[in-house]
Amino acid sequence: MTDLATANKNLWRDVFDSEDLRYCFNCSTCVSGCPASNANPPLLIRNLARMVILGLEDELLEQDTPWTCVTCSRCEEFCPMNVKPFELCLAIRKWQSRNDETRIPPSIVEIYSRGYTQAVERNTEQRKALGLPEKLSAISEYPELLEKFRKMLMQTQVISKNAYMFEGV
Amino acid sequence: MELGLFLGCNTPAIRPDVERAIRLTMPKLGVDLIDLEGYVCCPAFGTFPSTDEDSHLAVSGWNLSLAEQKGLDLLVECGSCYSSLRVGRELILHDEKKRARVNELLQPVGRTVEGKSKVRHITDVLYNDVGVEKISKSIDKPLDGLHAVVQYPCHTLFPSELVGFDSPPARPRIMRELVEALGAKVDSFSREYQCCGGAGGFHGTSAAEARGFAQTKFDAIKSETQADFMVVSCITCLMFLDNVQKELSEGNGKYDIPVFDYNQILALCMGFDPKQVAPICTVSRDRILERF
Ligand code: SF4
Ligand code: SF4
Repeated sequence: MTDLATANKNLWRDVFDSEDLRYCFNCSTCVSGCPASNANPPLLIRNLARMVILGLEDELLEQDTPWTCVTCSRCEEFCPMNVKPFELCLAIRKWQSRNDETRIPPSIVEIYSRGYTQAVERNTEQRKALGLPEKLSAISEYPELLEKFRKMLMQTQVISKNAYMFEGV
Repeated sequence: MELGLFLGCNTPAIRPDVERAIRLTMPKLGVDLIDLEGYVCCPAFGTFPSTDEDSHLAVSGWNLSLAEQKGLDLLVECGSCYSSLRVGRELILHDEKKRARVNELLQPVGRTVEGKSKVRHITDVLYNDVGVEKISKSIDKPLDGLHAVVQYPCHTLFPSELVGFDSPPARPRIMRELVEALGAKVDSFSREYQCCGGAGGFHGTSAAEARGFAQTKFDAIKSETQADFMVVSCITCLMFLDNVQKELSEGNGKYDIPVFDYNQILALCMGFDPKQVAPICTVSRDRILERF
């Protein structure tokens, strides 16, 4: 059983500092139109909102479901109380990343190293065959800019705190 | 008009034929595309926007500053890139504190950003700036006699206040009218406004469920329409709805509806070489391509 006595009543301020969250009345509009509510386990954004409001910190930190969101923003559009469930979903991911480094998306290391998650710079043969300029204006073509981009990222909070992840890439 | 071309990563890396189609068709409609040297990941929602606001702002600011420096608005096809850049611009333009912070991050690398450059989805530009009449006049190989279905990119619909340009947002019609401008008949179906389900972690973590979700769309298309092909305008919709049909066909039933990006089908109607503008696909497009 969930013990509300041990709950962190200020959790919502830490996760998603928005008064709107309190107006959530569990109507489930955010679930009924959500593609990821079909996932296994299902993304139930309504339940996540409850966890944040009730302050169930440990449970929230364990949740994998926010990461299955397809970012379609249906919930954001149709929530009748303007809770902004999609923003909440991203806020939970950010809170998890702040509090558990294993949550930090590995894709950001790729972007740090080459600007993108896909290897856009390597597709030269196919581009040529299609009549495209072989070289794209991608950052990988401009080593000096890439250096600056990395320098900028190194000043940001979560990255500077976890700088070891980006060493030698 | 001139617009900065924001290609993202999936288009140039995996579906460069879409890039070719965009680069050929838009100038023919009076939209000249300018490349942005040194652009990076939009950032995709699953990356910096899921890490912290600081890095999200920095990366959005980086990309927007490239367009701003050239005095250009941005043209985007990928739904995620479009939505991410619009969110980034919103934060930078309307929130003074965030604008100050992003400039603090950009300043040491010699850049600044105010959020002046607008972020435009390609279907918005096609419909609202070019217009369907001009598009109809620009083609010499119309799709007469063919039936199509359309897929709306969610990121261009919701949240409508922030990203929308169709009205009303929950009853969009722009994709339909753009395809009709090419001479095809667009059939309606009950799951027309359902998300493709291809973005984020849904398919990665729950492949069977994501397949099942897409199957409901294809089953509706099969039973309710006479569609010869499907038209999308988002690189994720394109790759997912094309590739998932192969996965679905490994079960019961045959799923083989060809999927095109709008600018690909437009390029074909304009008479551009199918081998340049539409060769990369999972479900064969031969049935449609042989017309051109
Ligand atoms: S739609 Fe809004 S009000 Fe309804 S359960 Fe979801 S977050 Fe709460
Ligand atoms: S944005 Fe995410 S949580 Fe909201 S409806 Fe779409 S998939 Fe579900």
